[in-house]
Amino acid sequence: MSERSDVVPVPEGEYIEPNRFAGLSFILAIVGLIGLALSIVGAFVDKHQFSFSWLFAFAFFFTLIAGCFFWIIVHHVTDAEWSVVVRRQLENLAMLMPVMLVFFIPILIFRHHIYDWMNIHPGHDPVLDSKRAYLNWHFFLVRSLFYFAFFICATLLFRRFSIRQDRDGNPGYTINMRKVAFTSLPLFALSLTFGAYDWLLGVDYHWFSTMWGVYIFAGAAGSSMSLLVLVITGLRNAGYLKETVTMEHYHIMGKWMLSFVVFWAYIGFSQYMLIWYANMPEETEYFIRRNTESWNAMSLFLVIGRFFIPFTILLWRSPKKSARKLCLIAGWLVFMQLVDIYIVILPMLYRTGLHVTVWDFLPLIGMGATLAFVFLRIAARTSLFPNRDPRLLESLRTTN
Amino acid sequence: MRTPYGNKVYGMGAEYPSASALYEAAKMVRDAGFKRWDVHSPFPIHGMDEAMGLGKSWLSAFVLAGGITGLLTAAVLEFGPSSLIYPLIVHGKPRNFFTVPAFFPIMFELTILFSAFTAFFAMLIMNGLPRWYHPVFNWNRFSRATNDGFFLVIEARDQRFTELEAQEILEQSGGQHITIIHED
Repeated sequence: MSERSDVVPVPEGEYIEPNRFAGLSFILAIVGLIGLALSIVGAFVDKHQFSFSWLFAFAFFFTLIAGCFFWIIVHHVTDAEWSVVVRRQLENLAMLMPVMLVFFIPILIFRHHIYDWMNIHPGHDPVLDSKRAYLNWHFFLVRSLFYFAFFICATLLFRRFSIRQDRDGNPGYTINMRKVAFTSLPLFALSLTFGAYDWLLGVDYHWFSTMWGVYIFAGAAGSSMSLLVLVITGLRNAGYLKETVTMEHYHIMGKWMLSFVVFWAYIGFSQYMLIWYANMPEETEYFIRRNTESWNAMSLFLVIGRFFIPFTILLWRSPKKSARKLCLIAGWLVFMQLVDIYIVILPMLYRTGLHVTVWDFLPLIGMGATLAFVFLRIAARTSLFPNRDPRLLESLRTTN
Repeated sequence: MRTPYGNKVYGMGAEYPSASALYEAAKMVRDAGFKRWDVHSPFPIHGMDEAMGLGKSWLSAFVLAGGITGLLTAAVLEFGPSSLIYPLIVHGKPRNFFTVPAFFPIMFELTILFSAFTAFFAMLIMNGLPRWYHPVFNWNRFSRATNDGFFLVIEARDQRFTELEAQEILEQSGGQHITIIHED
């Protein structure tokens, strides 16, 4: 109640002034261009290294953006009250999906360096032959395009309805968005699950894990909630959303972070324990590689850093009610998502142990800066919160 | 405290027309410095605990203690026999600490079980439940607390309670049907 906002919503909303982030945008554009240019240089130096580094950066940002899309669906499906004020930022982040489609092109070009199964002819590998009905190039391409088509179309629909509602305040748009959300719910689950199978598990085509999709989802949802905290805090520090987003909203976001820290650990451990206990050679391969040599240290770091540390901190109420503290944990969790994706992909390139090269970070920096640049452009176009949403007032007065 | 007729006084109650009126009244009673009083409404009112100045409940601390007890119970029950008293090699798994993944599900379950039991029983004890009788039921209007009535009752055992002062604050806060409630 102490932080309860008594502000009556302004129909004009809150906008980023033109040229407010001109300097930052310029720097981001330069960094993005240099990063992507150097990555392309890397592609000529070492195609194998480039393709894995690129997939690593792509998977990291894709999971974050798909996670933001998930939170939009959750907002509409549950008819949530509190998330109205932060919904526009989720939409802005999800709107980066078309950029991810562009970043997906190098993966298609360098597919033969990443996905070994594309290089093996039928009849040479019985395990692969039994999976041919699913693992073949044409079906792979169709699936990938379907995932992107779904994510982009649904995001554009959400965006369109949401912006139109800003103009006339018609509550019918809320119903429309809810319909899109219910349709998206199963399609999102299928797209993210099979996207995770195709793009990440496909690197190790021998391995089986029925929990893979939900494992990637758990990491994506938790880290994108953390990303939302970072974006909101960034905007607040720049002087926006000061009166719209209160510590009550931070508290709820912190609770979601806690729940997905636990969910990630639950799913990750379930996957590990079943394979460890059954001890069957065709399944243990994945964990043997990641739990031997220097990869073992990385795996332990992931378990401790992604579960035990944030869990014990987020269990307390005070860190969730402080923007600065929650921001630190959120930054840490996004970093842990990076480590997670690193451990998923890079051991397939460096099979003997951890090997850090500058090539791994160039696509990451290039993509990150480009996405941040585009995000600033998208965020400046509309109000920073849906200013005519029928439930805005309840959201402003959220208490929990 | 007793009425002129010799009935023991439980406290003084007032009815409010709406949840928001009750919420504002709670803030006034809190600021007046009363400690032993309660509000009753047909549904939970968001932010009421802060309006009443209740502070943070101790329940979560008990649940944490219960959870840790459950975790340790499971650890002792598993590592005790399997690693110390009667070590056996099962499925080629280690017998030392590194067999812990096999023990996690039970540690997890017992943590949850003990936490849930602690939460349930501590909640009952802290609320003084089960309790079959309460003096507020002597007040006829109070039966509407489960339907459409919003009530605030200041107890007589409050240090600050005097008939005059309680009546004044209840009137000031907009309470209607202000009544003395008998203990039995």
